[in-house]
Amino acid sequence: MVQLRPRASRAPASAEAMVDEGQLASEEEEAEHGLLLGQPSSGAAAEPLEEDEEGDDEFDDEAPEELTFASAQAEAREEERRVRETVRRDKTLLKEKRKRREELFIEQKKRKLLPDTILEKLTTASQTNQNKSYLAVRLKDQDLRDSRQQAAQAFIHNSLYGPGTNRTTVNKFLSLANKRLPVKRAAVQFLNNAWGIQKKQNAKRFKRRWMVRKMKTKK
Amino acid sequence: MGEFKVHRVRFFNYVPSGIRCVAYNNQSNRLAVSRTDGTVEIYNLSANYFQEKFFPGHESRATEALCWAEGQRLFSAGLNGEIMEYDLQALNIKYAMDAFGGPIWSMAASPSGSQLLVGCEDGSVKLFQITPDKIQFERNFDRQKSRILSLSWHPSGTHIAAGSIDYISVFDVKSGSAVHKMIVDRQYMGVSKRKCIVWGVAFLSDGTIISVDSAGKVQFWDSATGTLVKSHLIANADVQSIAVADQEDSFVVGTAEGTVFHFQLVPVTSNSSEKQWVRTKPFQHHTHDVRTVAHSPTALISGGTDTHLVFRPLMEKVEVKNYDAALRKITFPHRCLISCSKKRQLLLFQFAHHLELWRLGSTVATDHLLHLKTKGPENIICSCISPCGSWIAYSTVSRFFLYRLNYEHDNISLKRVSKMPAFLRSALQILFSEDSTKLFVASNQGALHIVQLSGGSFKHLHAFQPQSGTVEAMCLLAVSPDGNWLAASGTSAGVHVYNVKQLKLHCTVPAYNFPVTAMAIAPNTNNLVIAHSDQQVFEYSIPDKQYTDWSRTVQKQGFHHLWLQRDTPITHISFHPKRPMHILLHDAYMFCIIDKSLPLPNDKTLLYNPFPPTNESDVIRRRTAHAFKISKIYKPLLFMDLLDERTLVAVERPLDDIIAQLPPPIKKKKFGT
Repeated sequence: MVQLRPRASRAPASAEAMVDEGQLASEEEEAEHGLLLGQPSSGAAAEPLEEDEEGDDEFDDEAPEELTFASAQAEAREEERRVRETVRRDKTLLKEKRKRREELFIEQKKRKLLPDTILEKLTTASQTNQNKSYLAVRLKDQDLRDSRQQAAQAFIHNSLYGPGTNRTTVNKFLSLANKRLPVKRAAVQFLNNAWGIQKKQNAKRFKRRWMVRKMKTKK
Repeated sequence: MGEFKVHRVRFFNYVPSGIRCVAYNNQSNRLAVSRTDGTVEIYNLSANYFQEKFFPGHESRATEALCWAEGQRLFSAGLNGEIMEYDLQALNIKYAMDAFGGPIWSMAASPSGSQLLVGCEDGSVKLFQITPDKIQFERNFDRQKSRILSLSWHPSGTHIAAGSIDYISVFDVKSGSAVHKMIVDRQYMGVSKRKCIVWGVAFLSDGTIISVDSAGKVQFWDSATGTLVKSHLIANADVQSIAVADQEDSFVVGTAEGTVFHFQLVPVTSNSSEKQWVRTKPFQHHTHDVRTVAHSPTALISGGTDTHLVFRPLMEKVEVKNYDAALRKITFPHRCLISCSKKRQLLLFQFAHHLELWRLGSTVATDHLLHLKTKGPENIICSCISPCGSWIAYSTVSRFFLYRLNYEHDNISLKRVSKMPAFLRSALQILFSEDSTKLFVASNQGALHIVQLSGGSFKHLHAFQPQSGTVEAMCLLAVSPDGNWLAASGTSAGVHVYNVKQLKLHCTVPAYNFPVTAMAIAPNTNNLVIAHSDQQVFEYSIPDKQYTDWSRTVQKQGFHHLWLQRDTPITHISFHPKRPMHILLHDAYMFCIIDKSLPLPNDKTLLYNPFPPTNESDVIRRRTAHAFKISKIYKPLLFMDLLDERTLVAVERPLDDIIAQLPPPIKKKKFGT
């Protein structure tokens, strides 16, 4: 026979406190339901029952605290007030922070700009610049123009000489005629003097050193 | 004639820039040519294809389009995003207007000549109105997705065809909206990963659009329906240019392989009215890409990366079948780029951005003395070295530079004379007097300045203002060896001769309708010898203020027909110090010593007669001896001069050396290689 855990007896709750309590009650009920459902039958659950009983005893002896609606309401209001206060404080803190930052930026900018006197001079002078022989150009524009021109030139170069085009070297082009003569001749630039430069330099150095060594040993 | 020792110079590393665009002007029969370094040259086709004007180049100017508008106005546009107008009278650039569309790829003037259309990098087509003194932006057309590489107006001015990458758009001019968008196949009957670039379009008056693209196709489109009518595959490489004749019965295309094809509208059968476009003639006059072609009423003009300018007159269009109908190829410059200091045996070579000074040794050892780089991106217009070798002067568009040279035991030091006056800049021609004390500068405003040089400084003596007649041709200067006379060509009124000591105009040689190509004043006799572009040579006596008797005799008899049929103009004339009867002149393929004491050849005698061997009979020698001693040993000649009585210097530039430094050409597969 399943020993049902004795329920905690409750005093009849008043209507106003029903809302909160009701929730708590429902939660308890749900937990109990779970416990109920999970409870194994007969003697195997003997020990857990005992533990439960001990816990329950404390619950049994004391009656739950009596909370009037007024106190709960007051508590809730306090909570709200506290929350509102913290939010306000945070907001003001942020505002102050932003203000300080703005001021700092303005200071920096002011420092960057030239003193007012020179600025005044410049603005008045810019109107009289039209007769001078120089031309004021914004460097940013010039860079943009140069980069576009370079891109355009790269496009032309790619489409005419880039990959996929069937180009050959001038040497091969001029040597075609030589290959078709009745007496075949060598290519126009037959020797490639640009190969193995490092090797040739090393050989030269080695030869020089060897000669010096030979002269020494001969002596 | 005598024997001469010849310094044969081949180390002048002259490489002309490739030709990028040509524009033919029918009214004045002139051709404007723009090169890859930004130089624009104007050739006068009626004056024996002579280069009469040029505008020096600039490093940042990458011209991509050139066109003539009404009233003989020349415009160019390039990758720096600016439209430039050239002032053909004052020989400078009037203004440069930014189109604000990025780099400009193409430009076309409307058939009426009053509007200008440019195609930009950002895909926009901009319309400009040509006002009497400037151009004004009118509006933008619908913006396309990729860059507009070619433009063409319909002859009525109502529609425009614009070629881009992989498609061609047809715009309506009034509304500015794109009416059709025709997609171009990337490869003829095939698939390709490479985008198809439409290099050229042409709009005919019957609504046909002809397009040439990088897949090697020439395609005919119908602009009313926006469909492809016919497609020809003519090359394995790009077809890069197209030009249609005014009568629209023929057009010419140029390919990257160097071939130029001529298409003609021929009737389908011999007596039917239906016509079709047929590829009639291929011409292979170029080795590298033909980037531009033009169609004049009688000839096909082509130019490209191999720097030749080729005129191919069409036999069916030429009325008189004489030497005028032959192929003309312009390779070498029409003015002298070399100056010589005879006393110190120095040669000054002028390049686009630097000057080189060489000393001639004992015909074996030569020294590269100086490599003078110009500051700034502008090209050098002209340069000169004084006969004593201690002054070098050169000029760009905005500045004039004068250097003093000091020689100490084989070392050379250079010092620049600072603070040049503003009126000396943009000089067309610079010349030093024989004793190197005076400098003569012809500026492009028409004024002629005389500057006195002494020690390390200079003093402006006088400026001759332009006389009557506009500054039209390129200016040439000649000074007499005794320093009294200065001759200046360059106005349409004839060659002016000034008295240098008295600083006033002495006389004017009567005007001739062909421009002057070379001038020189003989020592002692002070005869001014002038060579014109139609190969006429005149001799004018300055003290007597009239033509010499010899010159009158030559004019009465006329030159030998082979002399008049030479292709290249005479660029330099010089004299022998001890033999007053000899005139030495040269052009690109021959040099000639005219002996005024010998009889003149008539049309029946042999013009080119090498010196006969001494064991020939006297009769033959007498028959073949005439005044014109021509030698073709050294060619192609860029410069030839007498250093002293026994020595000649000949600067040659073999064509193979130029070709060896050009960009790579398209590969050609030949059978057996």
